[in-house]
Amino acid sequence: MQLTGSHTLEAPTAQVWKMLMDTEILAKIVPGISRLEKIGENEYNAVSEIKLGPVSGSFSGGLTLSEIIDNQEFTLNVSQNSKIGNADAAIKIILKDLGNQTELSFDGDARLSGLLARTGQRVLSGVANSLTKQFFSNFDEELQN
Amino acid sequence: MSNRYIGKSIKRVEDKRFITGKGKYTDDMVLPQQTYAHIVRSPYAHALVKKIDISAALAIEGVVAVFTGDDIRNAGINGVPCGWQVNFKDGTTMKEPSHPLLVGTGDTIKHLGDAVAVVIAEDRNIAADAADAVEVDYEVKNAISNPFEAVQAGATPVHPEVAPNNIAFDWTLGNPRDEVDAAIAASHHVTTLDFINQRVIPNAIEPRVAIGHYDTTSEKYTLYTSTQNPHLIRLMMSAFVLGIPEHKVRVVGPDVGGGFGSKIFHYTEEALVVWASKQIERPVKWTSERSEAFMTDAHGRDHVTKAEMGFDKDGNVMALRVKTYANLGAYLSLFAPAVPTYLHGTLLQGLYTTPKINIDLVGVFTHTNAVDAYRGAGRPEATYLLERLMDLGALEMGMDPADLRFRNFIPPFDGVTQPGYQTQVALQYDSGNYEGVLKRGLEMLDYKGFREDQKEALKNGKLLGVGFSTYVEACGIAPSAVVGSLGARAGLYESAQVRVQPTGKVSVYTGSHSHGQGHETTFVQIVADKFGIPMEDVELIHGDSDTVAFGMGTYGSRSLAVGGSAIMKSIDKILEKGAKIAAHKLEANIDDLEFNEGKWTVKGTDKSISFGDVSLTAYVPHVYPEGLEPGLDFSSFYDPANFTYPFGCHIAVVEIDPETGKVKLKRFLAVDDVGNVINPMIVDGQIHGGLAQGIGQALFEGAIYDDNGQLINGSYMDYCMPRADDLPMFEIDRTVTPCPHNPLGVKGAGEAGCIGSTPAVVNAVIDALWSGGHQVKDILMPLTPERVWRAMQ
Repeated sequence: MQLTGSHTLEAPTAQVWKMLMDTEILAKIVPGISRLEKIGENEYNAVSEIKLGPVSGSFSGGLTLSEIIDNQEFTLNVSQNSKIGNADAAIKIILKDLGNQTELSFDGDARLSGLLARTGQRVLSGVANSLTKQFFSNFDEELQN
Repeated sequence: MSNRYIGKSIKRVEDKRFITGKGKYTDDMVLPQQTYAHIVRSPYAHALVKKIDISAALAIEGVVAVFTGDDIRNAGINGVPCGWQVNFKDGTTMKEPSHPLLVGTGDTIKHLGDAVAVVIAEDRNIAADAADAVEVDYEVKNAISNPFEAVQAGATPVHPEVAPNNIAFDWTLGNPRDEVDAAIAASHHVTTLDFINQRVIPNAIEPRVAIGHYDTTSEKYTLYTSTQNPHLIRLMMSAFVLGIPEHKVRVVGPDVGGGFGSKIFHYTEEALVVWASKQIERPVKWTSERSEAFMTDAHGRDHVTKAEMGFDKDGNVMALRVKTYANLGAYLSLFAPAVPTYLHGTLLQGLYTTPKINIDLVGVFTHTNAVDAYRGAGRPEATYLLERLMDLGALEMGMDPADLRFRNFIPPFDGVTQPGYQTQVALQYDSGNYEGVLKRGLEMLDYKGFREDQKEALKNGKLLGVGFSTYVEACGIAPSAVVGSLGARAGLYESAQVRVQPTGKVSVYTGSHSHGQGHETTFVQIVADKFGIPMEDVELIHGDSDTVAFGMGTYGSRSLAVGGSAIMKSIDKILEKGAKIAAHKLEANIDDLEFNEGKWTVKGTDKSISFGDVSLTAYVPHVYPEGLEPGLDFSSFYDPANFTYPFGCHIAVVEIDPETGKVKLKRFLAVDDVGNVINPMIVDGQIHGGLAQGIGQALFEGAIYDDNGQLINGSYMDYCMPRADDLPMFEIDRTVTPCPHNPLGVKGAGEAGCIGSTPAVVNAVIDALWSGGHQVKDILMPLTPERVWRAMQ
């Protein structure tokens, strides 16, 4: 499944970058994340609750950041497991400096397995879109705080 | 003899219990001390099992036991076997990987839903929860699901040690390839189709269920299972998997809610519950969830094919050349190798006099669920291939598709005064009148009127199309010597026992198995009429290996042609012995007796004795022929001389909405010839059901594996089944060309509807598109609005 999106945030690139690298803030703005803990350099454990149409479940697993170029881009590698199936994704996140604004865009591919793949697939892209929207609106909100 | 039942639409006697909810299916059975199994299945299609941790599951209250692939391996249990061997062209043996009941640590998952552990608990819900608590550590690997891609260099092997190139066997049949190449090259016109006959999922409404019961007193094992085939399951499980003496095993297939082929095979879960029951000394029941049924019931079809048909300038078919990659799935299911070969390649003569035919076929392993027989099994694929080529050939050559068929049909032959028809692909057809069914179909259609309607519709911006399919199938499976020479590891005769009780009531035991076909009515009609007694006095017993002699079950439209013929043999033996008893009682010469309306009468007199009195005499033999054994009870086995060859003509009329691409099936006509008919209403019902499934493949159904081997439409939300309101009222008729080689003259009707219908629908869509100027050769099934719309752009 393709995951793409972009949004312009009302903040300079350095600030956006700092927020993305802050575990506490990230846990707040990523929809569904109930716990995020740093376990090493660019390595995190994550627990999330996600409802996808007819299937819902509690996911846990790891997040790692790689190919980091400060204030510009990084790749988010997600591996989440649950009783309803597993999701593995590699998402490239790019920040574009627009002066006082920053364009945040991402592009990635998710591989699903288990019940999630069997029964969730057809509603997933819709869910992914709504999660994306929620992520960006959470980000906007966080910036205003 | 009487004339009350045979040929009459008697209402099905079994329907009372089914309609009133009193059917007894495997899941309805609750044995004392019964436990419930839930199977832990891999969410990946290809993965190494690194570790299985069952400790959390075992700690849950109510869990009785958890067994993993390691336990199965340590117990030395074999995998489930394959029952048909198809060798490579060069004679080397088919590649036959083992199919373990559970995959153990260090072994590899081969398809989505492959099992690693079984959790057994006091109730279903505890078992399901505890299965969730089993932690399996997988190392996920790349999977492959398309058979054509699987044989390309560098493709991930499913069984690296056994078949590194993913090829299970390659196979050819027909005339030498070079002769066919030459005939194609010399043809005036060649119609070529590159197409996929997509994978479909059988979807019996009753999921598979199995109860294993080891009785500690008798040390006997009983398996209750939703199967089409109790004896074969017993043989496979006892002799090949668990190594239990066959006489210590009883297999019962009670009421079964549909099979469509998917319940022929011996599945891992059956052996697993039987083995587990011995370990815990309690009965173990496993009931498949719908989701498991999608993943693990053997699937059907899945061919990638290139087919070329050469015509001369007048439209005579000169040659047929076929190359097919048949997806077998990850493991070889019981009859899997036979389906694309001897049930498919052998049917490529169709109804036509094609002089040169060759098929080259590769059986391929992929990381997908096993593919095996599904209603029609191989014959729908052959019919699809031929009939698509005929209609497309007609369009390409500007000929009429009906005329093209009449030109190429094998002329009528009855198999009695005229010999059977020897095909180029091994079979000898028994009898046929192919022009007859097409003529009748055209009459019902009003073909001339249709072509006018089609022009009229086009003026109004609508696309109307008609599609034809004229088919022949090989049923009444099968002569043992023939299938043995083709690689079958079993004979395909049938058993019957007719036991006349002292009061003249009759118990009939058949080795065939009814799971929707109405045997309890059809077979009883025959016995009641042959003995001249009421149907109420006859009972059919099937499905229990302890009461019925070894039989081969029901599939391949074989029950009446083979099982019914076995019953006829026993009936004849009873009437022969009964006549001796009657003659003795009537003090008459046996040659002076006639048997009619349930009585033996001395010709020209009013001296007679009833069937019931003869029966009683047989068991109370006070006044009795000297030297004759008491009793009136005969077993028989019938091994057919040939397959039977039903045939027919299916015609679809569709309308396409050019704005959306949506196909509306406006009419569907079927003229089938299944030989003599015992119960027309049951035959009609079989045709209806088959048509719905065949049309389902054309317009709605199709299993989709993504490139990770995930089945992405494994639920009824995503897998589209045909519904009543998708279908028009079927217009059906029959011609009757009796089978010349079995005593009932019957050919079988279970699969016909599913074999002929699919190409008729697709041909109709293609015809509609051509009528509107869209010269489309093929659209991938199912013909969804999106695909049809795209084809028009």
